[in-house]
Amino acid sequence: MAQPATLLDAERKDDEPPARHERAGAQGIALEIAGFSLWYGETQALFDNTVAVQKGFVTALIGPSGCGKSTLLRAINRMNDLIEGVRIAGEIRLDGVDVYDPRVDVIALRKRMGMVFQKPNPFPMSVFDNVVYPLRVDGVRNRAVLGEACERALRGAALWEEVKDRLGDNALGLSGGQQQRLCIARAIAVEPDVLLMDEPCSALDPLATARIEELVDELRGRYTIIIVTHNMQQAARVSDNTAFMYLGRMIEYGDTQMVFTNPRRRRTADYVTGRFG
Amino acid sequence: MEARAREVGTPLSAPPAVRRTSDLAARGEPFLWLFGGALGLGIFMIVGFLLLVAWNGISTFWPKPIEVVALKGGGLVAGEPTRAESFRPGPERLAGLDAAARAAIERNGGHARRTLYRIGNYDLYNEDFRWVADFEVAGASRPADMVFVERLEWGPFVGRIKEVDLDGARSAGAAPDLGRLSSAHAAARARWQRLREIERGAIGEVNHDLNAERLRLRRAALDHGRDGPRFRQVEAEVAARTAALERAYAGLTAEAEAIRKEDGKFRLTLAEIGGKEKTVPLSEVVRLYPANDLSLWGKLRVYVSRWAEFLSDEPREANTEGGVLPAIFGTAAMTLLMVLVVAPFGVLAALYLREYAKQGKLVSVVRISVNNLAGVPSIVYGVFGLGFFAYIVGATIDQLVFPERLPNPTFGTGGLLWSSLTLALLTVPVVVVATEEALAAVPRSMREGSLACGASKWQTIRYIVLPRAMPGIMTGLILAMARGAGEVAPLMLVGVVKLAPELPVDGFFPYIHLERSFMHLGFHIYDVGFQSRNSEAGKPMVFVTTLLLIGLIAAMNATAIYLRNRLKRKYAVGHF
Repeated sequence: MAQPATLLDAERKDDEPPARHERAGAQGIALEIAGFSLWYGETQALFDNTVAVQKGFVTALIGPSGCGKSTLLRAINRMNDLIEGVRIAGEIRLDGVDVYDPRVDVIALRKRMGMVFQKPNPFPMSVFDNVVYPLRVDGVRNRAVLGEACERALRGAALWEEVKDRLGDNALGLSGGQQQRLCIARAIAVEPDVLLMDEPCSALDPLATARIEELVDELRGRYTIIIVTHNMQQAARVSDNTAFMYLGRMIEYGDTQMVFTNPRRRRTADYVTGRFG
Repeated sequence: MEARAREVGTPLSAPPAVRRTSDLAARGEPFLWLFGGALGLGIFMIVGFLLLVAWNGISTFWPKPIEVVALKGGGLVAGEPTRAESFRPGPERLAGLDAAARAAIERNGGHARRTLYRIGNYDLYNEDFRWVADFEVAGASRPADMVFVERLEWGPFVGRIKEVDLDGARSAGAAPDLGRLSSAHAAARARWQRLREIERGAIGEVNHDLNAERLRLRRAALDHGRDGPRFRQVEAEVAARTAALERAYAGLTAEAEAIRKEDGKFRLTLAEIGGKEKTVPLSEVVRLYPANDLSLWGKLRVYVSRWAEFLSDEPREANTEGGVLPAIFGTAAMTLLMVLVVAPFGVLAALYLREYAKQGKLVSVVRISVNNLAGVPSIVYGVFGLGFFAYIVGATIDQLVFPERLPNPTFGTGGLLWSSLTLALLTVPVVVVATEEALAAVPRSMREGSLACGASKWQTIRYIVLPRAMPGIMTGLILAMARGAGEVAPLMLVGVVKLAPELPVDGFFPYIHLERSFMHLGFHIYDVGFQSRNSEAGKPMVFVTTLLLIGLIAAMNATAIYLRNRLKRKYAVGHF
């Protein structure tokens, strides 16, 4: 039923306003999901998904609850390995290498992919220690290197000005929005290739949400971002490409404007216009 | 549409009539009273218990007056009134009474009152306590010259000072100079202290060295045989050292003898109420005070000095008097050692069980077994500790490391180490269960956050999971500590003794002697209360020791709780 979604660049008409990815600049394919299926025990959660994620783009995964968006996202950095009884089929290729290849070192793989979760999950330690945690577990001990990386990451996450005087304070004392930006800073501290965001705004108030969206916009081009969201306006605002999933299948994937304004499939149209979901 | 139908429900039959008022059971009011009542009863019992122990413990050392009672049948009884109670005199006692007294008892339904006096003077009376019934009493008074004398031997003496002999200066007479007596008494106690230092400390050290030389010779004989040149060499060395030590021993003995001779010149002659006299060396008097002639300040001084002695001295008189320092020390040392053993052991086991083991049937069986271990009677652990630790492990160590001391066991008998290990085994389920729960309570998001940062499983456990679980683990350790410190039954098999000659820590290498048997407050309570020659004399000590044991456990727990709360604050800063 699910046909491999194609990139719709070729289909775009010339009189349309330029898509946002042109601002970012097309740099090729960062991540290829090819015929990927996944089972939790006997239940199949993902059916033969195929997506080619553009390098430097923001790609949104939308769909109703339980459609497998998060499962797909977590399959990319193999967080699903933690769950017992998970089986997969198909491939997810990062720079041409299947991440499920038995020769792949999962820990090294995850270092190339930052992940931001639904609820802010800063560690119960200082702001500084939080940001440099990925470097520390990587064996970096040099104080100067850590300090520099911390500042760069916090600036990247637009948090530096707010926390530069309290780097030694416990991160749990920050507000929810700050905590989430701290988690983004932590995710980009090691300069990953891909940034995976699993509904990063669902636990935040509208103001904090707007800050995160701005931030995602700023990070566009520097990182390949895949963002799962429930909020269709958000997907429309921040993403270059959008993938719509339903019941574990990739229904439609393409330029965000196309998906929202001129979807090719009935299901997509029903969902983005709010007729179900 | 579907959803709406589900919400409302499809009525298959007529809906029941809705009552306007909910009944009592539905409101839950009776249950509220039941739950509140259960809690109240629990609090009442705990508070009552604590008050009982605290009151009896705190009041024990307060000096009581001495009452002199004249009996109708002639004779005097002097002693501290301890308690009074109602009793039913037997028919032959009633028969010996005069008519008026008998009539009074009959009016009272056959009951009369009697008072228990602590009369002391065990060496003269062969009893410490005596009941005096009210109908026997002709009159009671509290003469100011009665003194209460605590002695090193034979317990307290109740009577009057007959004569004080201070190096020939006799002060026989009615009113002895108490000020002069107390300064002489202090000097005598200092001499006694010095004597004890020589006998226990210096002579003890010489004895220890002599013993070490003897063992060295035996060791040499075991290692090299009895005819080799090396054995001869060792033999010569040992002989020389032994001779030197024996000279030192003779010198110390002479010094001690001189002190003892000097000491013999200071004597105190006491007379009990009936006139029988007893002369004691002044240095054997621990405390002397005129019980009926004490100001509040004087009473307070006696009270404080008794507490100080109790907390800092060794027991005497079959543990019913003196202090409990060795027991405090033994309890604390054993508990700390136990925590040191059980903490890593339990936490590591729980870590494997929760984090690494594949969750399946086998792990469930192991988990249930560990939980059930907590329900095994503690004496069973004692038997296991004796059989396994002392008789198997300890005996093996003795054969391998200390063959020269055999047949005297070193580790092959109960001791501090084996007690700690036995209790560690007893409390390990508590630690495992608490640690497992603490680990399970670490939010999944924390682990995922760490793993997504590229941390390995071990790094995640080390930097994220363990610190987060630490307060919970500490709670487990606190529970284990409380359980272990209060346990007595298994210890009786694996190392606790009534009276330990030496502390497990002293000045001789290796300073901490894990093989030594030790004293324990819990066992001390049992021993004083139920094993001493006179349970009535031991009863106050039971309460004081219980108070102390509760206090010690509370102090150790408070420290652990303080540490835990500091950890907690570190890992849970409130949102704002």
